[in-house]
Amino acid sequence: MIYDIRHLTAYAYSRPVPFARCMLRVLPRDGAGQRVLTSALSVTPRAAERRDGVCFFGNRTTTLTITRAHRELRIEMTSRVEVTRAAAPFPALTRDWEKVTELALAAQSLAPDSPAHYLYPSRLAPVMQEITDYTRRSFGARRPVFEAACELMGRIRKEFRYDPEATEVATPIGEAFSARHGVCQDFAHIMIAGLRGLGLPAAYVSGYLRTIPPPGQPRLEGADATHAWVMLWCGPETGWIGLDPTNDLIVADDHIVTATGRDYADVSPLDGVLVGPGSQRLDVKVDVVPVA
Amino acid sequence: MALQGRSSSTRARSERRNALLSGYRPLPGAYDELMAPDGAVRPQWEPFLAEWAALSGEELQRRFGLADRHVRDTGVSYRVHGDLESDPLAGERAWPLNHAPLVLTGQEWQVIAAGVAQRAKLLDAVLSDIYGPGKLVSEGALPAAAIAGSPDYLRPLHGTAGAGQLQIYAADLGRGPDGRWWVLSDRTQAPSGAGYALENRLAIGRAFPDLFRTMNVERLAAFFQGFRAGLVSRARRIEPRICLLTPGQLNESYFEQAYLARYLGFLLVEGGDLVMRDGLVHVRTIAGFKRADVIWRRIDGDFADPLELNAASALGVPGLVEAVRAENVVVANGLGSGVIEARTLMGFMPRLARAVLGEELILPNIATWWCGQPRERQVVLNRLDEMSIAPAFRAPGEGLDAGTVLVAELGAAEREALRARIAQRGLDFVGQEVVRLSTMPVMQGGRLEPRPMTLRVFAAATPDGWQVMPGGFCRVSDESDARAVTMRSGVRSSDVWVTSDQPVEQVTLLPSPDRIGIRRIVGILPSRAADNLFWLGRYLERSEATLRLVRALLGRLINADDQAPGHAETIRRLAHLLVAWGAAAAGGRGRSVAAQARSALHDLDQYGSAAASVREARRTASVIRERLSVDAWRLFGDLQRQLTAPGKMESEGEAFELADSALKSLAAFSGLSQENMVRGAGWRFLDIGRRIERGITTCRFARHFAETDAPGNCLDALLDLTDSQITYRSRYMLGPALQPVLDLVMLDPYNPRSVAFQIERLDAEIAALPSLSDDGMLEEPRRLALKLAAESRTAEAGRLDRAGILVLEQSLMGLSNAVAERYFLQNSRPEGSRMTRLA
Repeated sequence: MIYDIRHLTAYAYSRPVPFARCMLRVLPRDGAGQRVLTSALSVTPRAAERRDGVCFFGNRTTTLTITRAHRELRIEMTSRVEVTRAAAPFPALTRDWEKVTELALAAQSLAPDSPAHYLYPSRLAPVMQEITDYTRRSFGARRPVFEAACELMGRIRKEFRYDPEATEVATPIGEAFSARHGVCQDFAHIMIAGLRGLGLPAAYVSGYLRTIPPPGQPRLEGADATHAWVMLWCGPETGWIGLDPTNDLIVADDHIVTATGRDYADVSPLDGVLVGPGSQRLDVKVDVVPVA
Repeated sequence: MALQGRSSSTRARSERRNALLSGYRPLPGAYDELMAPDGAVRPQWEPFLAEWAALSGEELQRRFGLADRHVRDTGVSYRVHGDLESDPLAGERAWPLNHAPLVLTGQEWQVIAAGVAQRAKLLDAVLSDIYGPGKLVSEGALPAAAIAGSPDYLRPLHGTAGAGQLQIYAADLGRGPDGRWWVLSDRTQAPSGAGYALENRLAIGRAFPDLFRTMNVERLAAFFQGFRAGLVSRARRIEPRICLLTPGQLNESYFEQAYLARYLGFLLVEGGDLVMRDGLVHVRTIAGFKRADVIWRRIDGDFADPLELNAASALGVPGLVEAVRAENVVVANGLGSGVIEARTLMGFMPRLARAVLGEELILPNIATWWCGQPRERQVVLNRLDEMSIAPAFRAPGEGLDAGTVLVAELGAAEREALRARIAQRGLDFVGQEVVRLSTMPVMQGGRLEPRPMTLRVFAAATPDGWQVMPGGFCRVSDESDARAVTMRSGVRSSDVWVTSDQPVEQVTLLPSPDRIGIRRIVGILPSRAADNLFWLGRYLERSEATLRLVRALLGRLINADDQAPGHAETIRRLAHLLVAWGAAAAGGRGRSVAAQARSALHDLDQYGSAAASVREARRTASVIRERLSVDAWRLFGDLQRQLTAPGKMESEGEAFELADSALKSLAAFSGLSQENMVRGAGWRFLDIGRRIERGITTCRFARHFAETDAPGNCLDALLDLTDSQITYRSRYMLGPALQPVLDLVMLDPYNPRSVAFQIERLDAEIAALPSLSDDGMLEEPRRLALKLAAESRTAEAGRLDRAGILVLEQSLMGLSNAVAERYFLQNSRPEGSRMTRLA
């Protein structure tokens, strides 16, 4: 599947900002069944310094320094991405989960995809006893790891209410978990926290999901959204598999990956420091159009 | 004189020696530093005991007092956690000093020094592998997960030169019951304590100068010289600018940092003082950006760059990692060096020493089992009751010691809960053997008693290899429980003496004469320091003005039989001014003028009171402590003590005396800054602050007391407040008259208290500040100062009314704002990171 993606982020400031330095992670990455055919990033106002790079986790970064006073910052990313992922394994044929925890601990690599990086609590996905207990109900003794994870994903889809008004970017997952509501970011963090609580390596993925308009209706421009899901390491033979708890989907060719990391903080589309008082308004528009 | 206080009687000495040791019994099962198990004093301690026994009890106390006073005067203190919001100085405590040093022989020191140097070399090599090729992990000497869990493992630094490189390393050591030294923990992130070690040395040296010579104690200065040379050698420029990056004055060891910056000649900076532009790091100074070559950081690596590391950090420098990657700035220790402090790694050290150095560890470390490994986890679970259990990695934001428990002290339920947690996520825990520490003497009620201690030993990377400080930072527990894990709060620190058989060489930090180039104005002034010096000047002057008001008011109250016309009116106006300044609450029924005066002296809740202004001055000064002399700092202590409210209600006379003596202390500070401070930019900002404040307060005095219809008594008060009585009387035979008084107080450029005099000085000081403008136009502060000077020079007393004075006062405030805008860090404080949400 080939997609054209357009992702526009616009900040409007109440007062002019004389100086800003920020790091963007909006260009999609290659690898794991995905190939970026073309990509471009345009920023207004023009940056005094701009540097493209790749972070530890392999995500594409762009560092900007803007020294001209501005009241609006517009970041527009366009790309064409080809996605052809290998089929996921049969859940029942994956290794038992206890063995996976042992293999992860014995990893002899610090490469970005080594399970060792994804075993520990992180700031946004802390290990919490009640989430671990919730998770454990799907992880009976010696159960195949992928099978158990699929069940967990289904439970989150069923038992949690999708509610964009209920949580904010900084809402701790403990709150979202107790209230059983949130958005994709909360569900991903909760599932990661649960898996790590059992000693399983779980990663956070940001990207897009192709939306299919209701039959007979046209696709609305800019109506798509950024998305987040989970990857689970199932042992050295199987490697990483994507699971989308918001939609109870095993990740295949409808998901386009922008960046991966331990939690949202590693993939945040914009980290920045700007100088100047005042408030800001954020506007995001996303289009994901299948072209072939 | 050297024999002062010493007794010549041998019998008295031996009695005192016996008294000192009368209660001293080594604790069962622990090694004692002073005494062998048979009760004999170890030989290296004999000269020390002899010296103490030679001093009368009174003399010994006097010596202790000398040492304590030194600690207090130099202001080396540490911060305990207190309510910092309400009082920024709340948590500050003088460093508690144990007056007995830890005495070690040169022979046993050789083993410690060799062991610590070996470990520094080992850790440095392991760090460079972790952030580089990763061979130790891929070849199985170190599990990846034993590293990956550390919040100090900074992935963005991976593959960067010097990512984890050590310039200074500290090992916490303890001595086991068999007399062998053990490494309890490694400090690589930003080891503290070297400054306290130096300070303890100076304090004890002041108390017992002769002992140093007779015992041939090794000196510490060479170590610091080596450390500095090591930093210099890593910079790209021959004369590098070295900054000490501090988390700021709320950090528990801020005072040590300020002390070391001063001792080593480094620039003390906070994150906000530094800026990254075009791949280079600069210090923001009053003369624009100046390049920083080396940053000795005392903030955690994770906090050093909000852009690539912890986005929530407000302490760091956005873009620092990029500059490090470009090798344009050296950060020491390397930003990622903290990872090796992880307890998980302790268990692997013997194996790593063999793999990396091909050597056995000279100093063993405390036995440690990481429960992320199945076999080790089983060992810990089997022997749980005899172990201490600690988090495998520190939680972000927590200290290294947080969360350690002695399993033997847990109840059955807690024990089982811990066992379950280890079984569930063993990777989060290590089990460690419980070490019994050695004990050393502390003075307790006139005699020595044994107390457990740990010793922090420092090593510095110098151009000639690792150099170990012959001494260290010794912490002594206040409790007698000798298990290592209980060493927490309630500690004193001791000087550490490494004795030699031969006289030791004297080294000072001063460079040898043939290498010194002559220079007159040294260093650069960071904008933040300029800001604080300016406000220090303003607060000092404000305290002075309040004290003058209080003194004038009380003087008139005491002089009750003064029947001069306008007496009551003057008192009313003085009291009114105190209220208008926020120095005292408005007088209601039953509230006397005298009570208002007392409140203006002591009441910390009145922001304009003398006590509050002095507190603010001291807070401002504490941020730039490295720029103030010890004498100046001591004056703040004196002032604060003077202005602390007395227990009982003081009489008006007593309050008058107090205001008078506080004014003397302030005059002493002015004298010190006039006579002892180099006329560099720092002094200029202090002076500009004082002049602006004095100009403004004098305008206010004049507006209040020199109206057209003001009674003579009011003019008299104005002359008092501006210290111009004597000058006036020498010029005019008659009593105070409006125009001559106004001229003397406002316009006379020869009267150092007049507004015109302040303006002339301001004009001169501001003209001498660096200019950034390259378009031939005057910078705003300079333009305003010139304009003010012209106005005050051409003004006439006969035409100067209240409105005219107000215009001058407002122009001075405008000048203050212009100076702040041009030279300080205004509008450059970064906002926090902005997050966007994914749907």
